[in-house]
Amino acid sequence: MSFLAFFFIVVSLLSFVAAQLILKRAMAATTRSGFRNVRFVAKVTSGIVLMTISFFLTLGLLQRFDLSYLYPFQGLSVIFITLMAAVVLKERLNLRLTIGALLISVGIVLVSLS
Amino acid sequence: MQNRPSGFCNPWLQLVLSVACVLLSEFLLKRGATEVADADSAWSWVGINGLASSLVWWAILLIIASFMSWLYVLRYIPLTIAFPLSRVVDILVPLGCWIFLGEMISPLRWCGIALVVLGLGLVAKPIAQIEERL
Repeated sequence: MSFLAFFFIVVSLLSFVAAQLILKRAMAATTRSGFRNVRFVAKVTSGIVLMTISFFLTLGLLQRFDLSYLYPFQGLSVIFITLMAAVVLKERLNLRLTIGALLISVGIVLVSLS
Repeated sequence: MQNRPSGFCNPWLQLVLSVACVLLSEFLLKRGATEVADADSAWSWVGINGLASSLVWWAILLIIASFMSWLYVLRYIPLTIAFPLSRVVDILVPLGCWIFLGEMISPLRWCGIALVVLGLGLVAKPIAQIEERL
């Protein structure tokens, strides 16, 4: 795998993680302030832009690598998002959820490596 | 998690629908991207030429549908629970290939599937407790 491929995989993963955190924050806020406000629109738009970047980078990578080759990197998103949701969004994260997310990540990597 | 609507608006049902759309879109994207692959194109790294495939457009429609469901899920379910559960799609692909296409699953892949199922069980346990309280 070239440096360029690794770079695009990392950028795709980071954009996806950031998009999920921004979208969660936007949707959680709708229970208090509704949908018709500038902050909600701005957050959802940023989330969609980041997801679009991640989508097209993944599409470009799929043209060069098998889905099974790229899946281990997608698997890492589970543990990243779980930990970041606890840190950034202050969601409650106990040992059970952490171990669960870790097992899912490792499991996805094993499924795609074999 | 807040009190949530029931029926079609139930966020757990929307999570299932979101996963189903993602599952189908993954197959369509791979087939679509492969059938129009052009590694020599200057823009191929960003996947723009994948748009020449109709399968990619169907996949995009499914991704939009999945995205709408996912936004709804995010309104009610914590990300620490919803996102790990949504990755059940990663074992549905090989299991689907095994059940419907008769493809072999290696022992290592079975181990991976077992770990994901175990992880899903751990993440889903608090949900049962939350639902009991509602």
